[in-house]
Amino acid sequence: MNDIDEKLREIIPGLRRFALSLARNPSSADDLVQSCLERALSSWGSKRADGDLRAWLFSILYRQFLDAHRRHRRYARMLDFFTGRDDAQPSVERTVIAQSTLDAFDQLPTEQRALLLWVSVEGLSYKEVAAILDVPIGTVMSRLSRARQALRQLSDGEINRPSLRRLK
Amino acid sequence: MISMPPSERDLHAYVDHQLSDADRQLLEIFLGNNPEVAAQVQAWQQDAQHLRAALGGALQQPANPELDPAMIRQRLKRQSRRHLASAAVLLIAVSVGGFSGWQAREMTLINTSLPMSDALQAYRLIAQQDLLPADYQVSEDGDMQDWLDRYFTRANRLPDLSGAGYKAVTGRLLSTDQGPAAMVIYENQGGQKISFYVRPPGPKNFLLPRGSRSDGGLQAEYWSGSGYNYAMVSPADTPAAHLLKQTVQF
Repeated sequence: MNDIDEKLREIIPGLRRFALSLARNPSSADDLVQSCLERALSSWGSKRADGDLRAWLFSILYRQFLDAHRRHRRYARMLDFFTGRDDAQPSVERTVIAQSTLDAFDQLPTEQRALLLWVSVEGLSYKEVAAILDVPIGTVMSRLSRARQALRQLSDGEINRPSLRRLK
Repeated sequence: MISMPPSERDLHAYVDHQLSDADRQLLEIFLGNNPEVAAQVQAWQQDAQHLRAALGGALQQPANPELDPAMIRQRLKRQSRRHLASAAVLLIAVSVGGFSGWQAREMTLINTSLPMSDALQAYRLIAQQDLLPADYQVSEDGDMQDWLDRYFTRANRLPDLSGAGYKAVTGRLLSTDQGPAAMVIYENQGGQKISFYVRPPGPKNFLLPRGSRSDGGLQAEYWSGSGYNYAMVSPADTPAAHLLKQTVQF
């Protein structure tokens, strides 16, 4: 048991970083990590797939985030429904120009952020990512490719660059 | 084996160090001869490097003791003991068996349709267990009424409990089977809480006469007015509960 705890302790900083990149707020990020660890420890053995412990924990945390996010969205829709207005800032059209790769990263949709973090930052293999998302490896690769293009465009500011083509 | 010229996937696999040594060498030769593709690959590599550098700081957060595995194990153990305890209660109820067991079942069935059970449930979740965060926090007097008016325009005014030392502090919106509901929590200096709960009467337009009941250590005062149902909930047998019980008209 101490053995397991030691391994977990090594992974926790990475989990917190991943949670932070999803939730963007340190206290909800730590709540996510906590419920992820609770789930992991209570289903230890019975559900744990063979393979990388880190990838398994990432996948638990990711699912929990998506579930919570969905619940939150439903709730936000309900609020809109009865206030009859949308208090939220426009987020669909991203008008902020990315100052750095990190800003660009923050503007990406959830799955693209997760993908880039797993592959580029944590160095998980395509196979591990495919297992987390439960999709074929080919799908992981094409989604990764889209994520990289999106990051590239946002960090270049290409999307936001005003189309001031010189008129003749 | 990668194809030549390499597909975009091969290029990504190269960036991510997921190619075999042979493929990697092949690809490097190709990149040497195709500067445009090489520039593209280099941009991806740079983005990945920037990302690693930018996110490196997030690994250095001060440790959070709540997240230590030993701590989490302890918490899980406590929780399962609590579950065991409630399972034991259920077991006793079932093993009484026969007629009284049936009666117990009837009681629980009636229980679910008792007036404003949702208000009691909301009090447990929000005021007692702190499970749902508040949507709204009062900053000045009168703000809470403004907040509530945004959702329930024609509803009864929030009762003034300042005489008893209670002030409205937080608000939360909920969705129930009967429609959207709002709950306002009053608190006194000692941190004791009273809730004001309002929601539509539901599709059957089930309006309530002024009434009172207690359930699981809580007491609910309920009534209808201006097209809504209301409840005020507080812990039973407290001065606050007596105060509410004596109030005929809110």
